[in-house]
Amino acid sequence: MNWVEVIWIVMSAACLTLGVIHLFVWFKQRSQYAHLLFFALAVSATAFGAFELTMMRAQSPVVYAVTLRWAHVPLAMVVLSMIWFVHFYFNAGRLWLAYAASSFRLLALALNFMTGANVNFREVTAMDQAQLWGGAVISGPVGVVNPWVIVPQIGNVLLVVFVLDAAVTLWRRGGRDVRRRAAVVGGSLVVCITLIAGFAALTNLGIVHAPTMVMPGVFIVVLAMAYELGWDLISAGQLAAQLRASEQRFRAVVEAAPSAILLVDQKGTIALANAQAENVFGYPRAELVARPVEMLIPEAFRVPHVRLRDTYLRDPQARAMGLGRELFACRKDGSEIPVEAALSPMPTQEGVFVLVSVVDITERRDLERATARQRDELAHLSRVAMLGELSGSLAHELNQPLTAILSNAQAAQRFLAQSPPRLDRLEEILSDIVKSDHRAGAVIQRIRSLLRKEPAQRNSLDVNDVVEETLRLMRSDLLNRQVVVHADLDKGLPAVRGDRNQLQQVLLNFMMNGCDAMDGRERNNRLLVRTRRTANGTVEISVADRGVGIPLADLERIFEPFVTTKSHGMGLGLTICRSIVDAHGGRLWATNNSDGGATLHCELPAQRP
Amino acid sequence: MAALSPTVYLVDDDPDVLKAIDRLLQSVGLRVVSFLSPQLFLEGFDRNAPACLVLDLELPGYSGLDLQRTLEQEASALPIIFLTGRGDIATSVQAMKQGAADFLTKPVDDIDLITAVRDALARDEALRLVRSERARVAKCLSTLTERERQVLERIVAGRLNKQIAADLGTSEKTIKFHRGNLMRKMGVRVVADLVKLAERAGVGSGTAA
Repeated sequence: MNWVEVIWIVMSAACLTLGVIHLFVWFKQRSQYAHLLFFALAVSATAFGAFELTMMRAQSPVVYAVTLRWAHVPLAMVVLSMIWFVHFYFNAGRLWLAYAASSFRLLALALNFMTGANVNFREVTAMDQAQLWGGAVISGPVGVVNPWVIVPQIGNVLLVVFVLDAAVTLWRRGGRDVRRRAAVVGGSLVVCITLIAGFAALTNLGIVHAPTMVMPGVFIVVLAMAYELGWDLISAGQLAAQLRASEQRFRAVVEAAPSAILLVDQKGTIALANAQAENVFGYPRAELVARPVEMLIPEAFRVPHVRLRDTYLRDPQARAMGLGRELFACRKDGSEIPVEAALSPMPTQEGVFVLVSVVDITERRDLERATARQRDELAHLSRVAMLGELSGSLAHELNQPLTAILSNAQAAQRFLAQSPPRLDRLEEILSDIVKSDHRAGAVIQRIRSLLRKEPAQRNSLDVNDVVEETLRLMRSDLLNRQVVVHADLDKGLPAVRGDRNQLQQVLLNFMMNGCDAMDGRERNNRLLVRTRRTANGTVEISVADRGVGIPLADLERIFEPFVTTKSHGMGLGLTICRSIVDAHGGRLWATNNSDGGATLHCELPAQRP
Repeated sequence: MAALSPTVYLVDDDPDVLKAIDRLLQSVGLRVVSFLSPQLFLEGFDRNAPACLVLDLELPGYSGLDLQRTLEQEASALPIIFLTGRGDIATSVQAMKQGAADFLTKPVDDIDLITAVRDALARDEALRLVRSERARVAKCLSTLTERERQVLERIVAGRLNKQIAADLGTSEKTIKFHRGNLMRKMGVRVVADLVKLAERAGVGSGTAA
C-alpha cells in the first residue's frame, strides 16, 4: 500500500466518522435537516473515496471504465446533498438554480449509464501509470471522450453559480457568525468545486495526463461543513449552559425573595413555590407544587377566583391583585391571614405563566389597628376635655327646658286651684311639658353620645346635619361669649362616610378656636360656618372668625402637638382633629381672611355612590 | 285713679320658656305681653302704662344688660326683674347696680317670680304716684310770680313776715298779701302743708332762684 492509498483511506474513514456523528445529532433533533444532509454527503463522499481508490489501483481499462461509471452514483449523491445542504443550511440561494444544478447532475447520471463506457469516456483504451513522489504508482485513464460530458460540466458550472449566489446573499445579511459561515462553507465549496471540476475536465479532455483526484476536494468541503456544523453544536451547548445558569440565578433570586412567590400556569396550577411561600402558607413545598392555586384562597372566594384568573389571562399585565380590596389567604391550618399580592405575567413557550408575589401583612394590620385604637382613645379624651369646657353651656341647654317644665307645671297647679278649675288650659300645658322633656332628653343624648367611648364608626352622614347639631351644642356657649354664628350651608351636599361624634368634635374644636380667637374683642364677634361642595366633588366645611388671625409662620404649626396660642389648653385639639380627618381620608388646613381673622378648613371625600 | 290693670312685659329668646312663664303669670290673673327679642319689645311696649319687665339675661346679640342700659337712657323707670340660667355673680352685681328690681335664676319657683313681679308692680305704682304729685306741685309752682317765689323760699327757710319784709325791702303788709296769694295758688291752708309740699318739689334747699 502506498501513501496515496493510505491518505484516501484515511479521508474516507474521516468522512464516515463525521457523517455518523451528525446522523446521531439528527436523530436527537429531527427538525435539523442540515445534519441529515451532511450525513448523506459524508457517506457518499466515503463511498466515492472507495471508488476513486479502486480506479487508481485499476490495472485494466475495462475495470477503470466500469469503476468510474459506478463512481458517478456516490458523486451524484455528493452533489445533490451539497446543493440541498446549502439550501437548508444557508436558507438562501435561488431555488431554480438548485433545481437546475440537481437536474443536470441527475441527467449526467442517466447518460453515464446509457452512453459510452461512462459519461466521461466513450471508451477507455489504455491505462497511464503515473509514478509519484515516494515511489507510489497510480493509474490514469487514456481514452475517447464522451461528448455528453458537457452535461455534468454544465451542471458543475450551475452548482458553482448556485453556491456563489447563496454565499453572497448570506454575506449580505450581515452578522459576524453568518459572514464566517458564508465565507467558510461558500468559499470552500466554490474553490473546491471549481478546482475539481476544472481539473477533471482537463484530464478528461486529455489536455493534462493525470489520474482524476476528486476526493481531496470533496474531503475539504466535508471538513468545512463539519466545522460549521460543529460551531452550531458548540454554540447550542453554550446557550444551554447559559440558560441553565440563568435559570439557576432565577431560582436563587426567587428563593431568596422576602415575599412568598408562586409561579402559576394557565390552568391555575402552582409550578414553583419559594421558601417564603412555605412560611406564609404553612404548606411544605411538595404540597404546593402541582396543586391548584385556589387551595390558598379562602373557600368563599375560590369560585370567583377561577373566573378572575381567566379574566386576568385575557389581558395579563403586571399589577396588584384585588384592586383595592382587602385580600386574605388561607393557610394549611385553616387560618386566614391578610395579604397583599402582586401579579406579573411571564410569557413562555407553554403559554403565559403568572408570577404571584404574596406578602403577609398581619403585623402591619395589627399595627394599623393599634394606631387607630390609640387615635380613637386620644380623640375620646380630647372630646371629654372639650365637653368639660362646654359644661356650663350644656347645663344651660338643659336648664332651659327644665325652666319651661317647672313654670308650666306650676301654672297648671294654679289653674287647677282656681274655682272653678281651668281644666281647658291643661291639655296644651301638658303637651308643652312633654315637648320640653323631649328637648332635655335630646341634649342628654347628645352629650352621652359624645362622651361614649367606642371605636370609630363609618356611617353615611349629612355634613349639614352634623353642623346643625354642633351649633345646638354650642348655642349657650356662643351666647355667653356674645358670639353670633352665621351658617351658610349648601343644601346639595353629597353624603360623606364617617364617624358622627368625631366629625362633630372637629367642628366643636373649630368653633371654640374661633371664639377663643375673638375673646377680648368688644363688639361684632361673628363666626361664619360654611359647607360647600368643591369643584372636585369633595365636601368642605369651614369656620371663619373675626379674631386676630394666625401669624403666617404658624399656619401649619398650629396642627402640631403642644403648639398653642392660648393660656389654657394643651395644644392638642387641632392635632387630634387632623388625625381624625386624616383617618377619614380628608385634610385640614388654616388660612387668614383678607378682611381679618382666620378660617379653619376641613375637606372630606364624598361617599362613593 | 282709675284701676288700670298693670302689664307684665316678658322678653326671652326661648319660645318654650317664654310661653311657660307667660302662662304662669296669667294663672294668677296678671296681664302679660311677651316678646322674643329686645328689639320687638322696644317697638311694642307702652311707655306710659304701669308695668314691669321680666327679662332674660342671655339674649343673642343684644343682651339683657344692653336693654337695661337703653331703658335707662330713655329715663324710663320700668322696674326690671332679671332671669338668668347661670347666676353668675359679676353679671348680677352689675345688673343690680344698674338698678334691677330683682335677679332670679332659672328654673324659677312660681312664688319667687310672682312675689318679685308683684313687688315690682307696687314699686312702679308708688313711683308713678310720687311722680304725679311732683308734677302737680311743679305745676302750682309755675303759676307763682317772681316775688311770690322769693317769699315762698323765705317761708320754707323759717323766716318771720317782719324779717322777710326787711330782706326784700318792703312792708310787712305787702308780704302778708303775697303770702295769702301763694297759699291759695299752692292749694294749702296751713304753713306746715306748704313747707311739706315745697320740700317734696325741691324748693328752698338753700338756693336762691
